[in-house]
Amino acid sequence: MIRLNLVLLVAVLASAFYLVHTQYESRRLYTAIDKANAQARRLEADHEQLQVQKRAQATPARVQQLAARQLQMRPVTPGITEYVTLVPQADASAQEGVGQ
Amino acid sequence: MSNVRHRGINYSASPLLASKTPVWRSKFVVATLALAFAGLGARAAYVQVFGNEFFQRQGEVRFARTLELPANRGRVLDRNGLILASSVVAQSIWAIPEDVDKAHPKLRDLAKLLEMPLPELKKKLANEDKTFVWVKRQVDEPIAKQIAALDIKGIYQRREYKRQYPEGEAAAHVVGFTNVEDRGQEGVELAFNKQLAGKAGSRRVIKDRLGRVIEDVRDVIPPVDGPDLQLSIDSKVQYFAYEKLKDAVKNHKAKAGSVVVLDAQTGEVLALANYPSYNPNKRVNLSGEQLRNRVLTDSFEPGSTMKPFIAALALDKGLVKPTSQIQTAPGRISIGGSTISDAHPHGVLSVNEIIQKSSNVGTVKMAMQMHPREMWETYAQAGFGQKPQVPFPGAVTGRLRPYKTWRPIEQATMSYGYGLSVSLFQLAQAYTIFARNGELIPVSMVKAETPATGVRVFSEKNAVSVRKMLELATGPGGTAPKAQTMGYSVGGKTGTAHKQEGKSYAANKYRSFFVGLAPVESPRVIVAVMIDEPSNGEYFGGLVAAPVFSETVQQTLRVLGVQPDMNVKPQIVTEAVEESF
Repeated sequence: MIRLNLVLLVAVLASAFYLVHTQYESRRLYTAIDKANAQARRLEADHEQLQVQKRAQATPARVQQLAARQLQMRPVTPGITEYVTLVPQADASAQEGVGQ
Repeated sequence: MSNVRHRGINYSASPLLASKTPVWRSKFVVATLALAFAGLGARAAYVQVFGNEFFQRQGEVRFARTLELPANRGRVLDRNGLILASSVVAQSIWAIPEDVDKAHPKLRDLAKLLEMPLPELKKKLANEDKTFVWVKRQVDEPIAKQIAALDIKGIYQRREYKRQYPEGEAAAHVVGFTNVEDRGQEGVELAFNKQLAGKAGSRRVIKDRLGRVIEDVRDVIPPVDGPDLQLSIDSKVQYFAYEKLKDAVKNHKAKAGSVVVLDAQTGEVLALANYPSYNPNKRVNLSGEQLRNRVLTDSFEPGSTMKPFIAALALDKGLVKPTSQIQTAPGRISIGGSTISDAHPHGVLSVNEIIQKSSNVGTVKMAMQMHPREMWETYAQAGFGQKPQVPFPGAVTGRLRPYKTWRPIEQATMSYGYGLSVSLFQLAQAYTIFARNGELIPVSMVKAETPATGVRVFSEKNAVSVRKMLELATGPGGTAPKAQTMGYSVGGKTGTAHKQEGKSYAANKYRSFFVGLAPVESPRVIVAVMIDEPSNGEYFGGLVAAPVFSETVQQTLRVLGVQPDMNVKPQIVTEAVEESF
């Protein structure tokens, strides 16, 4: 009888310790997830910041200025443009088929 | 045994060890212990049953926290998905004044980094009663890092969002800006504030001693980010229009100017710019002049730009044909005792020529054959005196008085654009009637997927006839040959109006404008330009506003990929020429 009680006592103690350990582990992991989420948000914010910066470097105002000053370019006019009309063959024949 | 009981409690079987303790003492101890246990029981019952709620709450206050999950404000994009406004992280610097050592040597560095005089910084930290003081809000990230590196006790940082506007002053009036609390104050940011703002979420968590989150108490309410807003604006067109306008305002020493570009097929606003403008990223010392979105908030007398509507109405009513001859000599006409005159007297003119040469007398002669109601209806259908259907702050209705109050002279002046007021935006929209073969289409600031359907105002045939007249106005012998642009046929109407000051007209203050469309055969864009008080000698719309129209049309059609409809002498150099330095 006593032996059985001892075994049960050990079992209860083991279970209790394991419970404490699991609880601790779960909280530790939760903290880790939370930190990772925070980092994800930070990286997202950084990404947005970089995108805005990239865009700020490529605004028409800046492009125009650089093209005119550094590359001596000027705005395009129809006088210096060669216009090419692309006739999509497949589309044209398909439309003919519909038309008939 | 009975003996023993009399003498006291017997703790041992041995008589030698017999105690002489009186019975009442042991009873007293038992009773005291029992009472103590009862006290504990009562306390336990109180804590766990009766006062349970209070203790639960007190416990939670000590470790549970509600965290707000801020929602990101949606971005504002142009029609090609380029960013016009976006939120980026910015640190705000705050302090607990009591904790800051006022004689700290690094405060000087801090003041320098914040671009703030040292006394001002110290003043902010002077009030020691407060436990929270903003030192400076929304500091750029690199500077925030340097401040963090200073490591001054009592100075802290908090993450906030700051709006960035990469397009700067060119798109300032369209996009607007938000305040430090991330709420829209002007432009699209204000008009679509609710939509862009999104909805903040929250979570209830348990934190440990070190402030780490260890558990969510209830389900997280996730934040709903504001959706991106895609405008109809094309940032290239917007930039060109703004640049050309700025140049014109400067060249003509004008007070201000506005330009608006509409897509004639969809009714989308491709560009909307005003000068003077401002940089929405650096909003210090902003004046009302800079902030005003004149395209929508300023109304003025439209002058000659109204004449095509009278011509179209006269054609629709069958009063005239495009070739009908009307006598405009001697360049004057008297109505109800007042005289209306032409700037340059002409003789007999056809209806075509009346629009081409912008004859007041000819227009009045056509208008006086109509009933005021017909004129009023046409103007109202064209959107004058009606609130524009754009969700923009401060858009004006303009003024169009009910026809019943018109005296004959007023009907006459109204036919050439005096006595009513419109905004440049309304004027541009009204010209969709001529661009769309007689239909007025709704105008949109947001990118539209489908072509617009309009409301018919004039018959197709007559609208096309008037479009031809508008083309003549920009041709040789017209009022605005400077509106012509290389490669594309254009049509439009100039306007030059005396500015009203109080109740009378100012002697030499003018507003010059030009509204037109291109290409004439199947119009793709409508451009309206207004220059306020040009004072460099020239003031006619054909000289001041038409060149802006010409350059804007040129660039817009190129960006839209429209092929020239007129022959252009090629200037392409086929032979390579040696470069010289």
